[in-house]
Amino acid sequence: MSEIISSDNLRKLAAEWIEQGVRVAAPQHAGGRVLYLPLKNSADLLLDAFIHPANSAKEFLFPKSETLYAYRVEGQDVKLVEAPGTETPQVLLGVRPCDAAAFPILDHIFNWDCADELYNRRRRNTTIVVLACSAHDANCFCTSVGLGPASERGADVLLVPLTNDTFEVRSVTEKGRSLFAGKTQTDNVAAMAAAGPEPRFAPDAVRKFSAANFEHPIWGEHALACVGCGACAHTCPTCHCFDIVDEHGERVRNWDSCQFSLFTLHASGHNPRPDQGSRQRQRILHKFSIYPDKFGEILCTGCGNCTRNCPAGLGVLPLLIAIEHEEHLPA
Amino acid sequence: MKNIYQPDLMEVAAVQRHTADVKSVKVRFRDADCAQQFQFRVGQFGIFSSFGYGESVFNICSSSTWSDGLEFCFRKTGRVTEALWEIEEGDTIGFRGPYGNGYPVEAWKGKNLIFLGGGIAMPPIRCAIWYALENRADYGDITIVYGARTVADLVYVNELAEWSKRERVRVIQCVDPGGETPNWTGEIGFVPTVFERAQVAAENSVALVIGPPIMIKNTMPVLDRMGLPRASVYTSLENRMKCGVGKCGRCNCGPVYVCKEGPVFTMEELAALPQDY
Repeated sequence: MSEIISSDNLRKLAAEWIEQGVRVAAPQHAGGRVLYLPLKNSADLLLDAFIHPANSAKEFLFPKSETLYAYRVEGQDVKLVEAPGTETPQVLLGVRPCDAAAFPILDHIFNWDCADELYNRRRRNTTIVVLACSAHDANCFCTSVGLGPASERGADVLLVPLTNDTFEVRSVTEKGRSLFAGKTQTDNVAAMAAAGPEPRFAPDAVRKFSAANFEHPIWGEHALACVGCGACAHTCPTCHCFDIVDEHGERVRNWDSCQFSLFTLHASGHNPRPDQGSRQRQRILHKFSIYPDKFGEILCTGCGNCTRNCPAGLGVLPLLIAIEHEEHLPA
Repeated sequence: MKNIYQPDLMEVAAVQRHTADVKSVKVRFRDADCAQQFQFRVGQFGIFSSFGYGESVFNICSSSTWSDGLEFCFRKTGRVTEALWEIEEGDTIGFRGPYGNGYPVEAWKGKNLIFLGGGIAMPPIRCAIWYALENRADYGDITIVYGARTVADLVYVNELAEWSKRERVRVIQCVDPGGETPNWTGEIGFVPTVFERAQVAAENSVALVIGPPIMIKNTMPVLDRMGLPRASVYTSLENRMKCGVGKCGRCNCGPVYVCKEGPVFTMEELAALPQDY
């Protein structure tokens, strides 16, 4: 037996959550694009006819800009003011499996050795309702990194399209089950997950190559077209590098990117990553070698956003394919 | 649960100007419990902040054997250090830390210590020198070679003079050719050359080498020729950091997060890492 919900009832449910004061974020049309945005009106909820929003869902757990704490300078004294903690429950509705899978991967970095409570608090208060994919584009490569169009990783609930306007509701966690309790109908049909993209490369080959070829022409060649804009990192579900700066009486953490020249610039003027090639190399190494070495998981969910959003058509996929080709060349 | 990014407040107890653009600052915790509980190892660093300007990473350059506050030293080079340059006694700054691994002072027991530093690299060596002097019986001969571009760029000159009066301590100061003054009594030359001329014995020694990359690069062949194994040569990396707690993603040197697994490495360990520092 399976649990079923119609798109109308799903919208009604979203409207109920909004009514109850739950923050809901979901894919919506915005300025000719699809974006994950706070959902104000459940009619705006997009449930089909998009591959992947131009942004990622990470910003609802790890905001672009976040106050760490505030302070008041009073003469020679300083008063620290704790950032207002939000315990507001949040539902990420209709996020793609490649966005949901990023959260258990990010849990490692925000919790090794010392816990980042700002991230953890949002994580605890968030329920993730994943919408399985029914199509993919040329930039998708989830199947190359162990995921797929109906992957449950990181999901509390998985919605799998059944017909044009119904979804099978698969509860993955207790949190997800209670969110949909009493809101579904039972039926004896089961939804079929769509086929994913053909695997494009083997992560192990990339790991092996990048560990052994810190100096290799491929990094510089690939980076020639890179303009260093950081769109890859900022639209990536797993990129989590940040800066800490002072803004208007607050200490704030803002997203940063290894693609920026200032990222590693020493006070002396020396920069260990002086060119775009070494910065592209860092991004591949971090995702496919450093993170797996440290936490046992690839820092990539194959969403393809880095290529989709790159003004030069780069992103990791073309480089990963080139690396695998290089790795398989006869020595 | 504690916000790991929130600093403790410290009061400026003293400011010392060393050169035209280098100052050191002594600070004490405003909170008595913080002061009571605070412990660190020499070689660790802190993240110091000027409220309204931001945070900067500096080595804690006082000895861990001193119980009255802590000290840091900086060169005026950017937004935060420009602001720190203006602080006065009684002002409040922020401190997070201590972070990083520190020097293996326990493993150095019974060894002769060779300290080689250039320019603004004296503060992170100074804490280890004072630590060794305060635990004098634990360590053998101490050799300090410290150089700067000009006489006016040397920092902690009073302490260099004080150390040279201590037992079994040899202090050699040098300035780059052209950086001397008419009454300069130290050596003229670069740290690697001056150090080689000093004929220091490698036997049962460890070396701590901190300075600009070019100084470290040219010092390594000298240490190799002396016969000091690279596993006995230590340095402290200066990779840019923001969080200090292994999250912000910029200080890594290959698979190693310098803020957590460093900043102190042996040259043997560094040789196994990619050239990302």
